[in-house]
Amino acid sequence: MPTLTIDNRPVTVPDGTKVITAAEQLGIMIPRFCYHPALGSVGACRVCAVGFKEGPIKGVEMSCMVDAQEGMVVATDDPDAVDLRKHVIELLMLHHPHDCPVCDEGGHCLLQDMTISGGHGRRRYAGAKRTHLDQDLGPLVQHEMNRCIQCYRCSRFYQQFCGYRDLGVTGIGTRVYFGRSEPGTLESPFSGNLTDICPTGVYTDKPSRFYGRRWDYERAPSVCIHCSLGCSLTVSARYRKAVRHEARFNAQVNGHFICDRGRYAYAYASQPERPRDALIAGRPATLAQAATQMSERLAAIEKGTGPDGIALMGSARSSLETQALLARLHSEKGWRTPCFSADDAATRVVSSALNTLNATNTIALTEIEGADTVLLVGADPIGEAPMLALALRQAQRDGSRIITVDPRPVTLPCAHDHIAVSGDDLATAVAHLIIGALEPSREIALDADQQDRFKTLKQETRDIPAAAELRAIGHALTTAWRPAFVCGTTVPDPDVPPLMGLLQALVQTSCMWSGLFFPLPGANTFGAHCLGGSDALFEPLLAAVEAGQVKALVVVENDLFSEYPDQQRLAAALESLELLVVMDCVPSAITARADIFLPTQTIYEAGGHYLNNEGRLQVATPVIAGGLSIMDTGGGNHPPREFREDIPGGTPRPAWQYVAGLATGETDPPDVKPLLDEALTAGVADGERVSLPSASREWPSIERIGAGPEGDAGGLTLIESAATFGSEPLAAFSTVLAELTPLFGVTVHSETAQRLGWRAGDRIVIPDSAPALEVVVTLDDRAAPGVLLVPRRIGIDRTALRRYMAHLLAE
Amino acid sequence: MTQDPSQLKGKSLPPPRETSGAEALKALVTGFATTLKHLGRRPITEQYPEEKRELPARSRARIILTRDPDGAERCVACYLCSAVCPVSCISMQSIEGQGGRRMAAWFRINFGRCIYCGLCEEACPTSAIQLTPDYEHCQRAILKSVYEKEDLLVDHCGKDPDYNFYRHAGVATEGLDKGRHEKEAPPVNVRSNMP
Amino acid sequence: MVLDWLLGMIVLLVKLGLILGALLFGAAYLVWAERKFLARLQIRLGPNRAGKFGLLQPIADAMKMLTKEDLVPDGADTFVFKLAPVVVAVTAMLMFAVVPVAPDLVLFGRSIPMVIADLNVGLLFIFALSSLGVYGVALGGWASNSKFALLGGIRGAAQMISYELALGLSLVPVVMLAGSMSLTEIVAAQERVPFIILQPISFAIFVISAMAESKRIPFDLPEAENELGAGFHTEYSGMRFGLFFIGEYVHIQVLGALTAVFFLGGWRGPLLPPVIWLVLKIIFVALIMIWIRGTLPRLRYDQLMALGWKVLIPAALVNIVLTGVLILLV
Repeated sequence: MPTLTIDNRPVTVPDGTKVITAAEQLGIMIPRFCYHPALGSVGACRVCAVGFKEGPIKGVEMSCMVDAQEGMVVATDDPDAVDLRKHVIELLMLHHPHDCPVCDEGGHCLLQDMTISGGHGRRRYAGAKRTHLDQDLGPLVQHEMNRCIQCYRCSRFYQQFCGYRDLGVTGIGTRVYFGRSEPGTLESPFSGNLTDICPTGVYTDKPSRFYGRRWDYERAPSVCIHCSLGCSLTVSARYRKAVRHEARFNAQVNGHFICDRGRYAYAYASQPERPRDALIAGRPATLAQAATQMSERLAAIEKGTGPDGIALMGSARSSLETQALLARLHSEKGWRTPCFSADDAATRVVSSALNTLNATNTIALTEIEGADTVLLVGADPIGEAPMLALALRQAQRDGSRIITVDPRPVTLPCAHDHIAVSGDDLATAVAHLIIGALEPSREIALDADQQDRFKTLKQETRDIPAAAELRAIGHALTTAWRPAFVCGTTVPDPDVPPLMGLLQALVQTSCMWSGLFFPLPGANTFGAHCLGGSDALFEPLLAAVEAGQVKALVVVENDLFSEYPDQQRLAAALESLELLVVMDCVPSAITARADIFLPTQTIYEAGGHYLNNEGRLQVATPVIAGGLSIMDTGGGNHPPREFREDIPGGTPRPAWQYVAGLATGETDPPDVKPLLDEALTAGVADGERVSLPSASREWPSIERIGAGPEGDAGGLTLIESAATFGSEPLAAFSTVLAELTPLFGVTVHSETAQRLGWRAGDRIVIPDSAPALEVVVTLDDRAAPGVLLVPRRIGIDRTALRRYMAHLLAE
Repeated sequence: MTQDPSQLKGKSLPPPRETSGAEALKALVTGFATTLKHLGRRPITEQYPEEKRELPARSRARIILTRDPDGAERCVACYLCSAVCPVSCISMQSIEGQGGRRMAAWFRINFGRCIYCGLCEEACPTSAIQLTPDYEHCQRAILKSVYEKEDLLVDHCGKDPDYNFYRHAGVATEGLDKGRHEKEAPPVNVRSNMP
Repeated sequence: MVLDWLLGMIVLLVKLGLILGALLFGAAYLVWAERKFLARLQIRLGPNRAGKFGLLQPIADAMKMLTKEDLVPDGADTFVFKLAPVVVAVTAMLMFAVVPVAPDLVLFGRSIPMVIADLNVGLLFIFALSSLGVYGVALGGWASNSKFALLGGIRGAAQMISYELALGLSLVPVVMLAGSMSLTEIVAAQERVPFIILQPISFAIFVISAMAESKRIPFDLPEAENELGAGFHTEYSGMRFGLFFIGEYVHIQVLGALTAVFFLGGWRGPLLPPVIWLVLKIIFVALIMIWIRGTLPRLRYDQLMALGWKVLIPAALVNIVLTGVLILLV
């Protein structure tokens, strides 16, 4: 822990800290272009020069390259260093174009700041400027190479940090060029971060191109709700329109970056189709009319059928406020327990997974970066939770071994061992891992009872093709120092998470540190679980509707049609309802069927609390008041020329307000913490994890493993799983992301394809599908044989797809 | 007796100069003589609606948006004028116009608020926004003071007859590719090893 | 007897009406004259839009003030607030009651004195009213519930007290020379020589003190618009402000008349009728006051006090002694 003096102020920092970081701790921002805390130091740009006055080093040196040492005396305002920085800036500005007025970086440009603060006001260079041709990098990132100052941040981020190779650097001297070998869309799902890290305007945000300046934006800290990780965002909005997400540093969750799904998902909030008015039987009505009619009709139904006649349907994308008030509506009125997902299979897995988590085995996303072995079972990070892939990449860069056990051909931006196991065999696979961990090892001691149970486990576990490989990996886990266990919650069956918990608990005894990490299906699935959502399944609810026991259904921010596979059955059931109330902020199949529709606010307008996949409570602050963008209300080439008191299109209210209106009549936002405390055992603070039960020593019940899969082992299974783009219900409305969404296709092992008579590139037209659905066949031998893999996609005819696949299975 | 503020600081100012009676009398007489002389002079008042003064070209009154020498709109909607405006009377929305040029989708100045300080003109990097000597544009209806882009746009270059931002900017626009702007070398061929 | 009394009443009422009308008309056009004359001193045109040469400007001003909203500030002492402008205007006008505007008029064998009330203590009457006028300023300033008005009122009171003494003392030699306090007698005493020739020092002291009494530049500290807003009448609007305004300009006329009576021989003069002479003298004094206003800056407060107490009062006392000695000797 050396102590050094920077600008006459002492600071003590850990060993290995660079001087530039030590200065930051004092609040001194030393100029930098190439240095970035996530990317480290390269000493390329030379603007972080400072004067070293006393101590082991003397003279002008780069503060990003020098480790802080005991007794150093550093002066950032050393005349020599200031002079050097000034000349470096002038050199960097030599070829910089004269285009700040038309550059989107202007206003938050590091180069602009440094040029002004460095005092370089007039170009002395009179020669011709070097120019570069730009490339089309796809719909997300705008390229303008003339502005480059050769800091190498982009290529270091793109290749080293993210592990993608299609953007890099070529050339020497002033001719250095950053780009792709050919123009084309960037392959990385993290490419949007280029716009954040580029210190000048080479990479700028394309969807918000020319929209506004940083100083005009209304900005607020928010949370990403487009997967369960809950990355921290800064949202920028202008003229009542959210126009940009930027990564906000969060040391526990996302670090400095976010994925492109989260970055470009905001379009749903300002899409022209967004429902902004209350509807009664499809006809526009005032909010008051709709709300009054809702409560009157619900009261009438309650009178007729009793409280059991009314069911509540929540959502995993709603804020905790909404979810908690739904739970309270249930407890106060006695209406049916709210159900938060129409996907019961997932709900069961989520329930068993989250019951496996406890106070000691839960880990945060950034902790995975420090693991030396990461085992992923039934998890496809790039599709389900892209930032997890980036964390795995960092672990792998540090020498970590990454193992994926999955029916899908999991691709990661880093080297990993992939073991293809069919979906039904995942539990068996984990059992083999446990056997491998315990069998030849003397490091893990078992008591008599555990020995018995282990014996049963061994006997009951079926043999699968990858068994030997899995056992070897299981053994290797016992020698790991810092193993992390990641388990998906959509593909595996409910037995897998507890088995993973068992594996982790066993390995825990022989390593320094280990933990469990469960990516969940929705942004606030954890919240729904805490509020009792795992107890209520959708299938019984649907049956009750069909049986006529439930007369009224209140659906809050959930498009059941995108979650429930059998769309015809669902449509018929909804038809039989006496009253269907829908509250949502986006248009959906269920919105059109609502008897009473109430428009809700988005996260940008209402804000809210969210629990991410590890139970961390995070707050999203409202950014805008709501209403149609001025761009839309003007009509013609100017904003409206009239004075009015209300905001056009400003009808929507937060969803919780409607629910509160039914439950308690409150109009102020509820304090979620007491509501959460009711559901849990102890208090929780913003940015902290909710309290989880303490670790139990009990082995989970493993009776069912021996039973083997329910289906025929040689048959075909259909797996619908999340893809990076096109699966998340809100991000699916983003037009720029739609450009990146690949054609809808099925991925199969070549053997399976042979059996089905498919060839790569075949286009299968699904019969009787509306809208017409065409599926492109892709072959991938890393997939488990017998698995038909399709991405979950909003808006496709899943019934027809399932019917066709069932027909294939029957053949 | 008032306290001398200089004593509070410990420094002493020179004592006030004593005026002799003769000096005082002379000063009084000079003063009265001056005002008396003024009585005989012709008043310098300009009677505004009847007599209108020609203001110098650089006087600050009604704002215009000028065009470049080639006849295209100069404004690139960079938001600098609206940022610097102390009364926030300028608002605009930038879009990508024809040929990749950044331009204003709409541009509004609320002359009901404008204080004619000229900071917008000073901030403008393209000489687009300029103040003119035309000061006679009072309106009775407040909304008439809200000028849109078509009210502001003129068909000349204003006080800067030569400048065309896009000839210097270095960004590729229709008809003016990379390397063809003022003081620019042709684009680097990244596939060549020749220096 | 009753007829006499009735006739006397009618004559008195006619005189009252004429004097009051003349005073108010004079006040209105004095404002116009001041604005015009001041403008020319400053090489401007002055009001010229309402009527030829702006002659209708006083009417426009009156209409403006009558139609403006009459505001009484929150927390003001309403009664006193409303009373103050009345006090100022009424005391100013009452002073004119003892000013002889012409020699006695003989009509139908009756001698009608051309003065409303020929008091034998006319001088004291004037001092009394002049002192009462201060109440308007002080009360108005106090009742406004405003710091600016309060400061203005306090300054006004202090200034009046200081200059009242000098004013009174400057007139003692006049009384000594005339042997009477009746203004008619004083005018009569100047049959041969106006007192300005005999008492130039008294004249100077009187004029300076009188200007201080009327709160005009360079003695307008109670108003001092650049420090106190509008001083004691900051909170007044509409016709209440108008009353203060009228009071000030009536006061100027009264001062002109008193200067004429005490030092310039009153209505005396060759060729022209006596009333005209008096009016001319009043106008002359008013113009001099406007000229001073157009030339001199405002005094500082300590200078104002020093001038009053250290210069004018001693000078007036010395002047009295000298006059007494001279009267004894001659």
